[in-house]
Amino acid sequence: MNALSVENLCVKADNRHLIENITFSVEEGRIIAIIGPNGAGKTTLIKAILGLIPYSPGSVLLFGHSMKHANSRSGVGYVPQKLEFDRTFPLTVSELLAFTVPPIYSFPFIRRKGEKKHISELLEIVGVQELEDRSIGSLSGGELQRVMIAKAIVNDPKILFLDEPASGVDIEGQERFYDLVKRLNKEKGLTVILISHDLNVVYRFADSVLCMNRRLICTGRPAEALTDEVIKTVYGEMMGAYIHSCHEHD
Amino acid sequence: MNMITEFLTYPFIQRAFLASLMVGVLCPFVGNFVVLRRMSFFSDAISHSAFAGIAVGALLGIDLSLSSLIVAILVSILIAFLSEKTSLSHDTVIGIAFSGAIASGMLVIGKLKGYRVDIFSYLFGDILAITYTDLLFLFIISLLSIVILLFFSKPLLQITFNRDLARVEGINVRLFEYLLFFIIAVVVTVSLKIIGIILVTSLLIVPAAAAKNLASSMKHLFSLSCVFGLVSGIIGLIASVYLNTASGPTIVLVSIGIFFLTMLKRQRLT
Repeated sequence: MNALSVENLCVKADNRHLIENITFSVEEGRIIAIIGPNGAGKTTLIKAILGLIPYSPGSVLLFGHSMKHANSRSGVGYVPQKLEFDRTFPLTVSELLAFTVPPIYSFPFIRRKGEKKHISELLEIVGVQELEDRSIGSLSGGELQRVMIAKAIVNDPKILFLDEPASGVDIEGQERFYDLVKRLNKEKGLTVILISHDLNVVYRFADSVLCMNRRLICTGRPAEALTDEVIKTVYGEMMGAYIHSCHEHD
Repeated sequence: MNMITEFLTYPFIQRAFLASLMVGVLCPFVGNFVVLRRMSFFSDAISHSAFAGIAVGALLGIDLSLSSLIVAILVSILIAFLSEKTSLSHDTVIGIAFSGAIASGMLVIGKLKGYRVDIFSYLFGDILAITYTDLLFLFIISLLSIVILLFFSKPLLQITFNRDLARVEGINVRLFEYLLFFIIAVVVTVSLKIIGIILVTSLLIVPAAAAKNLASSMKHLFSLSCVFGLVSGIIGLIASVYLNTASGPTIVLVSIGIFFLTMLKRQRLT
C-alpha cells in the first residue's frame, strides 16, 4: 500500500510557480529522501503535503485519505526545519511533549500517571531520558532534534516528515540522529519522508530518492537515480566529483 | 498595622481589597499568553478601543461597561481577521486599530455635552469605587476565563510555541487564536474600572514578564505570575492607603519594582 500519493501538485505565490506538477508515491515503511538545490521547493513541497500552505491544482493522499481530513493528520509526525522559538520560553521537555499527549483538552499541570510514563518511554526511545526536566531553551541542536522526534512520535504516527532535521548539528550528532530514524523505521515500520542536503545521508539511509528543482527531476533508488548527469544538472560540476567519492565509499 | 486593620473595616476598602486580589490573579494569568506570544501592543490596542466603546456608550446612553466590552471584542476580531487575510504585518494592523480607536473615541467625546466624570474615571480607574455588582461580575469573568484558558492550555501553548506543529497535530489554530483574543478583550475590559485604560496593559504584562525572568517551566511561570500579581495588588493597595496615592498607579509601580528585582536575580543566575 502507498503511504503517500502526490499527483500533479502545484504551489503558486504571486503568480509564480514555487513547485510545478510534482507526482510521486511512497510505499509504506520506506525512507524517501527529497533532495535539490536551495530554493528548489523542498520545504514548500512538504508544507503543501501537510496542508500548511495551499496548493492548486493537485492531490495528496495519505494512506488513501485526503490530508484535509482530521483523521489523516493523527497519523502524521513532523519535525520542521530550524525550529524557531523563543529560547527564553520557560518550557520543559516533558511539558512540550505533554502538549501532544491525549487528552488534548484537559487541565494541565496535573500530570496523569500514564502521561508521565508515556513521556519517559518516548524519551528513552530517542535516548534522552535525562532531559525530561530540562528547559528546551538550554538544549543543544542535537538534543533538541531528538526531543522533536520524540514529540513527533507521541501519537504513534505511521508517517514521519523530517525537514532537514540535522542541519546545524555536529557530525556525531547527525550520525546518531539518522541511526535513530533508521531504527524507528525498522522497529515501528514508520514511513519517513526526509529532506536532506547531505548526499552521504541519502545514500546510507534512504531507500529511494526524489530529486527536484521546482519540478521533479528524478525518482528511484539513490544509486540508480542519482546519475552524474542528474547531480551536475542539480548541483553543478563540483558536486558531480563529490558524488563519485560517495559511491566509492559505499 | 492598626491603620490597615482599621481601614479594612470600611466596606469600600474591603471591596477594593477583593478586587485587587481577583485582578491580581486574572490579569497575570491571561498576561502569560500575551507575553509568550509577544502581543503586548495588542492588549494596549484593545484597552484603547474600549475607550472608543465607552465614548460611544456615553453618546448612545447605554451602559459604559457593556459598550466598551462590545467594541473591544469587535476590534480584537478585526485585528485577528486583517492580520490573517491581508499581507499587512500584525503590528501594523494593531497600530492602525490603536490609532483608529483613540481618534474615534476623542471624536465622539467631543460631541458630548459637558464634562463627563464617568468617562474619565475609566482612563485612570478607581478601585475604591468598585461596587458589589462589579465584584460579582469580576469574579464570574475571572473564574470563567481561567477555567477556559486552563482547559484549552495545551492547544493554546502549542500554538504559541509553534503554529505549524500545532496545525500538523490537528489543532484548529484559527479557532483557538480567536478564543484567546476574545478572552484578552473581555479581561482587559473588566479590569478597566479598577486599573484604568492607560495602565491595564501593565498589569497584564509586568507580573507575567517578571515571572518569565525566573521561571524554568510553564507550571512555574503561571504560578509565579499570579503570586507576583497578588503581591502587587495587596502591597500596592496598602501603600496607596498609607501614602494617600492613586491605587491603580501604585499597584503598577509595585509590580514594576518586583519586575526589576527578578531582573537582578536573573542577571545573577546567568
